[in-house]
Amino acid sequence: MKAASDANMPDATFLDSTELVLNMGPQHPSTHGVLRVILKLDGEKILGTDCVIGYLHRGVEKIAENRTWAQFNPYVDRMDYVASVSNGLGYCLAVEKLLNVEAPPRAQVVRVILTELNRIASHLVWLGTHALDIGAITPVFYCFREREEALNIFEKYCGARLTTHAFRIGGLQYETYDTFEQDVKAFCDMFPPKVDEYEELLTGNRIWKGRLTNVGVLTADECKEYGVTGPLLRAAGVKWDLRKAQPYSGYEKYDFEIPIRQNGDTFDRYIVRMQEMRQAVRIIRQAVESIPEGPIMAKVPKVIKPPVGEAYVSIEAPKGELGYYVVSDGGVQPYRVRVRPPSFVNLQALDRMVRGGLVADIVAVIGTLDIVLGEVDR
Amino acid sequence: MAATPWEGDLARELKERFGDQIGETSTYLGQNFIVANPEAVVPILEYLKLEADFDYLVDITAVDWLKRPERFDLVYIVYSFHRNERVRVKTHISDGYKPETAVGVHLTANWLEREVFDMFGIEFAGHPDMRRILMPEEWQGHPLRKDYSIIQQDQCWVQENLGIESGQ
Amino acid sequence: MSAAKLLRKIFLVDLFQGLAVTFGYQKPKYIVTEQYPAERPKVAERYRGAPRLNNNPENGETLCIACNLCALACPENLIVVGAERNEQTRRKELTTFTYDLSRCMFCGLCEDACPVDALELTQDFELASYSRPGMIWDRQMLEEGPRPKPYKC
Repeated sequence: MKAASDANMPDATFLDSTELVLNMGPQHPSTHGVLRVILKLDGEKILGTDCVIGYLHRGVEKIAENRTWAQFNPYVDRMDYVASVSNGLGYCLAVEKLLNVEAPPRAQVVRVILTELNRIASHLVWLGTHALDIGAITPVFYCFREREEALNIFEKYCGARLTTHAFRIGGLQYETYDTFEQDVKAFCDMFPPKVDEYEELLTGNRIWKGRLTNVGVLTADECKEYGVTGPLLRAAGVKWDLRKAQPYSGYEKYDFEIPIRQNGDTFDRYIVRMQEMRQAVRIIRQAVESIPEGPIMAKVPKVIKPPVGEAYVSIEAPKGELGYYVVSDGGVQPYRVRVRPPSFVNLQALDRMVRGGLVADIVAVIGTLDIVLGEVDR
Repeated sequence: MAATPWEGDLARELKERFGDQIGETSTYLGQNFIVANPEAVVPILEYLKLEADFDYLVDITAVDWLKRPERFDLVYIVYSFHRNERVRVKTHISDGYKPETAVGVHLTANWLEREVFDMFGIEFAGHPDMRRILMPEEWQGHPLRKDYSIIQQDQCWVQENLGIESGQ
Repeated sequence: MSAAKLLRKIFLVDLFQGLAVTFGYQKPKYIVTEQYPAERPKVAERYRGAPRLNNNPENGETLCIACNLCALACPENLIVVGAERNEQTRRKELTTFTYDLSRCMFCGLCEDACPVDALELTQDFELASYSRPGMIWDRQMLEEGPRPKPYKC
C-alpha cells in the first residue's frame, strides 16, 4: 500500500539508467574562475563533458573599436590577469608592426626581462593552485611568497602589481628605477633554490605521481588537430616555441633551451613548466647583464594613426600562443582587434583529455591546462 | 591597403590548383594572404593541410565592413610547423550566406566557428553544434556587428533573467 | 604491550614530540604579518593610487593650466575640466575639475599626459567611501587628498 509521501516520488524506472548528469558549476573552487562543466557520468567514470563559458565575457573586442589605439592598452592587461605583462607586449608589438616601427634596443631588453619575470609569476600561480587542487596544501604558500618578490619589482617599475600597463606603443614609458638591476639579480639568485624546494616536495612524491601520470594524455597529433600550444604541446614531444621559431623583441640574442617531454600526460606538463621557470631565470640573467644605453621610446607620433591594413602578431605567452589580429582603417580608433586566446583554444581539448577518466581527473586536467577565464571569455 | 603581390612558390601552386577561385594573392608587411571565393575556402584549407603541411589552424575570425555589399570578411589563419610559415585565407561573404564548416579539416574550428556565429551571426553549414558560446543562449542580436551599438543590450533577456529594468 | 609503550600511549608522548617540532619552527622574528591599521604598508614611489592636483609650493596656486589633455587621454572619459578665460592675463584659468573615481582603472594615462605635472597619482590606496556620489571628487578633494580616519585601537 502506498504511503501518502510516496505520491510525490518519481516513478522508480528512472533509476534504471546508469548515466548521471552532474553540474560542476560556475562557482567551484577548482575550476580556476567561472567555468561551468556539465559532466555525463557512469558512476565515477566520465562519458562526456560539455563546457559552458561566457560568464566573464566583458566585450573587450567591442571596447577596442571605441577607444583610440593608446587608450586600449590598459584594457588588454585585464584579459589574462595573472600574467598581464605578456598581453601588453603582444598588443604593442601588433600595433608597432602596423606602424612599421621597432622599439629601441634598450626598450626591447627591458621588455624581455619583465616578460620573463611575468612568465615565472604566472607559472607560480599555476603550480600553487594546481597543487592545491590535487590536495598538496603547502606549495601554494611557498609559490605566492616568491611571487611577492616578482610583483614587488613590477610595482617599483610601473606602479601596479597585477594590471601593470607596463609597455606603451613604441617602447616604454618609464625609465628603469635606480635599483632595478640589483633587484632583478637578487631575484635570479634567490629563485633557483626555491624551484629545487618545490621539486623536492612534489616530483618524487608517490601521491603526486599517482595522481598525475597517465592522466589527461594528449598526443602530439591530437595537439596539432586541436590547435593546442604552449607547455601542452611541448609535453607531447613537439619542440616548438615561438620565441625560437619566430623571435620577437630581441629573443634571438639569448641562449636558452626548450624543455620537452614525450608522454603528453599531466606529470610531463608539470615537469615542462618547472623547467621553463628555470630557463626563464637563465634568460633574465643574460638580459640583465646586457642592458644597452639609449632611448626607451621610438619615434611614434602623438596621435597614433596606422595606415590602412591589417597584421597578425603572436607571442609565446605563458599559456600558449597569444595572437593579436589588428585591422586599421586609417583612423584613430582600431577597426577590429581580435585576440586569439590560448586558454580558449586549449580548453576545447578538455573533452578529449578526460574521456574515460574519473571525476578526480577533471580537476587535475583543468589545473594542468592552466586556463584563466579572463582570457577564455575576454 | 598597400599590399604587394605575393611571388612565392606556394602562391603559384595555389593559383594552378584553384585557378580563378582565388581572387588575389598578396603580401603586406611580410605577411602573406590570399582572397578566395567562399565556396573554395574549405577545399583550400584541405589542400593546405594535406599537400602543403599547414596542419595547424591558428584562428578563425571575421571583420564587419558595414558599407560594403559583401559585408563580412571571414579570415582563416593557418600555420605550418615544418615550414615555419603563416598564411591568411580571406573571403568576402554577405549577410545571410552560410559558409561551409571547417570542422572536417581541423578540429579546432569547432569553438572558433561558434564564436564567430555568436559575435557576428554567420552560421556555418554542417557544424555539429551551432549555438552561442560566450553570450547567453537566448540572447538576441550579434554584438560585434557594427550596427550593434556598444551600449545596446537585449532588454528582454536582462529584464527576464536579471530582474532589473536595464543593464545600464 | 610493554610498560614503556603503555606509558607512551597514556601520556600522549608522540603527540608532544610532534608538537615540539611544529613549535620549534616558529621563530617570532620571522613573522611577516603587518599589523595593518597601526602600520601601513610601504608602497613604491611610482605606485598608481589616488589622484592629486598639485599646487605651486611658493604661492599656493594650482599648477593646472586647463589644457584638457588629461580628459582626452582617459580611456573612460571620467575627467571633466572646467575653465574660464581670464581677460587680464589672456590665459585660461581652472575653475572646476571633476574626477570620477568609481570608474577609474588607475592606468596612469592622465598622469602621463599632463604637461606640467599637475595631475599626479599618489601612493594613497585607502579610497573607500560610503556612497557612490562620494566617489566623484571635485577640485577641493583632489587637492587635499582622501583623509582616512586613523584607527584607534
